[in-house]
Formats: sequence, structure tokens, C-alpha cells
Amino acid sequence: MKKDIFQISPGFEDIMPAEYRDLIDNGPFEKNVGVSDLGSFKELLEEHPLCAGCGLALSLRLILASLPNPEDTIIVGSTGCSALAFPQVALHNIHSLFGNQNAVASGLKRALTLRFPDKVKDVVVIAGDGATADIGLDMVLQSWFRQENITTIMLDNEAYANTGGQESGMSPMGTVLNMAPKGKKFPKVSVPELARESGCAYVATVTPAQPKKLGKAVVRGILAARELGPSYIQVFAPCPTNYKFKPNETISKIKLREKEGTYETKEYITAEAQELFARLEEGKK
Amino acid sequence: MYVKVRVDEDKCIGCKLCILACPDPNVLTYTENKKVSADENRCKGCGLCVANCPKDALVIS
Ligand SMILES: Cc1ncc(C[n+]2csc(CCOP(=O)(O)OP(=O)(O)O)c2C)c(N)n1
Ligand code: SF4
Ligand code: SF4
Ligand SMILES: [Mg+2]
Repeated sequence: MKKDIFQISPGFEDIMPAEYRDLIDNGPFEKNVGVSDLGSFKELLEEHPLCAGCGLALSLRLILASLPNPEDTIIVGSTGCSALAFPQVALHNIHSLFGNQNAVASGLKRALTLRFPDKVKDVVVIAGDGATADIGLDMVLQSWFRQENITTIMLDNEAYANTGGQESGMSPMGTVLNMAPKGKKFPKVSVPELARESGCAYVATVTPAQPKKLGKAVVRGILAARELGPSYIQVFAPCPTNYKFKPNETISKIKLREKEGTYETKEYITAEAQELFARLEEGKK
Repeated sequence: MYVKVRVDEDKCIGCKLCILACPDPNVLTYTENKKVSADENRCKGCGLCVANCPKDALVIS
């Protein structure tokens, strides 16, 4: 897709919203911008209804700014807090039935490959921890077993936030939430290990406290999915509303958990992916 | 009560750390004179930018 597809038709300039016009003039399309350029271009995300201080909103903002090829990226989302932000995202995006996101993305990627054999079309799943590690885990794992060329990004706020605070597989053991009063009885599920064992070419856990690292992981995940096979990125995105901390503490909470060793950021790269990144990252220098 | 961010241009060193800490898009922007400027109308007043500024250049009021 080229910029002219969303260019405003002549004569309609004055009735288009200012935000849309701003996107045409100053958006990230065909520009090769990244996380470090935030603040210098009109973002793909518009004003959204997510809570003040939401870690998930911050992560989404950083992820969208990191996409290497936004013109040709299709995002598959799922039900949850992030679904409230997607109507405000200026990219093709599909809201799938809760939990079905990786099945929808697999079919979409295959269809796009048949329809546009000469073009790069990146299919990226962005969904909550409940959608990824619990209700959609079947579809997530099957897409990895089958080596689908898609990137799966989990926005891990360690809860079912949008439905008022139930525990998810990703909540740490002992977690008490509004609708999990007795404390969670089993530990946080290690989806990164599942990803590694199920055939992902690239796996990373990142946090918005380190935006550049997050950006690099998103780019690597997408490149690996293009060339090799599935990739998985887990983003720690704490929720001040359900975990009942102040909205200005979202980033300090992340740093604290990292310091405690209860949220590790790491990368797993297959030998094939190492080779690919070395080639591509070398080529860029 | 509405709370909004304001940037003290004299204190701002243009490090952009606040821009990378804000959960809301297009609020904090990087200006031509290498400082940060805020669109108050888009701010939710969460204070994450304040918590991440090394120079106390941002205030919420
Ligand atoms: C098939 C189906 N089952 C259940 C729900 C109810 N539901 C809506 S959002 C949600 C929780 C989402 O949790 P998560 O994926 O972690 O996203 P978050 O809201 O935390 O970002 C649930 C269970 C639904 N919408 N559809
Ligand atoms: S409930 Fe939590 S995850 Fe959902 S929008 Fe609010 S802060 Fe974000
Ligand atoms: S207070 Fe929150 S919403 Fe307002 S500019 Fe700072 S980080 Fe952004
Ligand atoms: Mg969640």
C-alpha cells in the first residue's frame, strides 16, 4: 500500500477532521521512523478512552511507533482493554472473537501471501494476557506448531482488566483482585518458554520502561515472522486501575518487579534468526 | 477536577524521556528549539511524564 491510498480526494480536504489531515501530512507512513522519533510525527494512535497511566496504552503507543512497515501491516486484536483503543488506530485492524486472534491472523496471512505474492504484508496479533495465555492459548499454540508467519504480541497486565479484575494465567501466584478475592493458587504461566518449545523463531519479553529495547524486539519479531516462522513478544503492561496503584507509578512498578526478579526481560533467538538479524542489521549500517 | 501537565521550558533539556513515558498519543511533542511542548487538551494528568523527568521540568496542576 502506498500513501496515495489514504490521501484525501481533491475537494474533500476541508471536511476531513484535522487529525486525519495531520496524519496525511505528518504521519509515519513511508518515513522509516521508530520509537526514538516519537514526538516528532503524528502518531497512528489517536486519543483513546483507556485509563490515565495505563501501561497497556503506553505499550501500544510504543509498539505502533516501532512497526517497520506500517503501510502494509494488518493488526489482529481481541476483546479486552486494548480493543477500546483499536478504533483509534490508523491501520488496518481486525477485532476478532475473544481468543480467536491467532486463528484469524493465520488465515489472513495465508490469504495475503496468495493474493499479494510479491509484496510484504506483516500480520501482527496484539492481544491481552487473558486472550493469549488462557482463552486463546489453543489457537496461539496451534499457530506456532504450524509455523505460521505471524507475530504474536501479548499485552500482559496480569489480569482480566476489562471485565473488572479476574485473575489470568499470567497473574503472579497469590494475586488478589476485585474478583479474585482468595488469591491466585498457581504461578504465572511461562508463555515465553512455551513459545520457544513450540517453534517460534524469535521470543522476547520486554517492558515500556525500556522503550528502545521494546522497539527493537518488535522489529525483530516482525522480521523473523516475515522470513522464518512465528515470533512471540510479551510486553509487561501494568494496570493501575485493577492493581490499585497510582497512575504515575506504572513505570516504577515495572522497574521494581524487574529488580525483584519477578519479571524478567529476555530474548530467545534461534540460530537461523541470529543469522537473519546479523544480515539485516548489518545491511542497515 | 481536571489536572493538566505544563512544561517549564527553562528547565527542559529536551531528553524526550517524558515523551516515551506518556500513555496518550500526540500530547508531548518535540519542538524545533529542541524542547518538549505539551498539548494540555490531550493530557489525562496521570503524572508518568513528571515521574520520568530527570530535571523536574514538568508539573501537573
Ligand atoms: C468469547 C468471550 N468470552 C468472554 C468475554 C468477556 N471478556 C471480555 S474482556 C475479557 C478479559 C480480557 O482480558 P485480557 O485478554 O487480559 O485483556 P485486558 O482487558 O486485561 O487488557 C473477557 C473475559 C468475551 N467478550 N467474549
Ligand atoms: S483497566 Fe487497566 S488495562 Fe484497562 S484501560 Fe484501565 S489501566 Fe488500562
Ligand atoms: S500527565 Fe500523563 S497524559 Fe499528561 S502528558 Fe504527562 S504522561 Fe501524558
Ligand atoms: Mg489482561
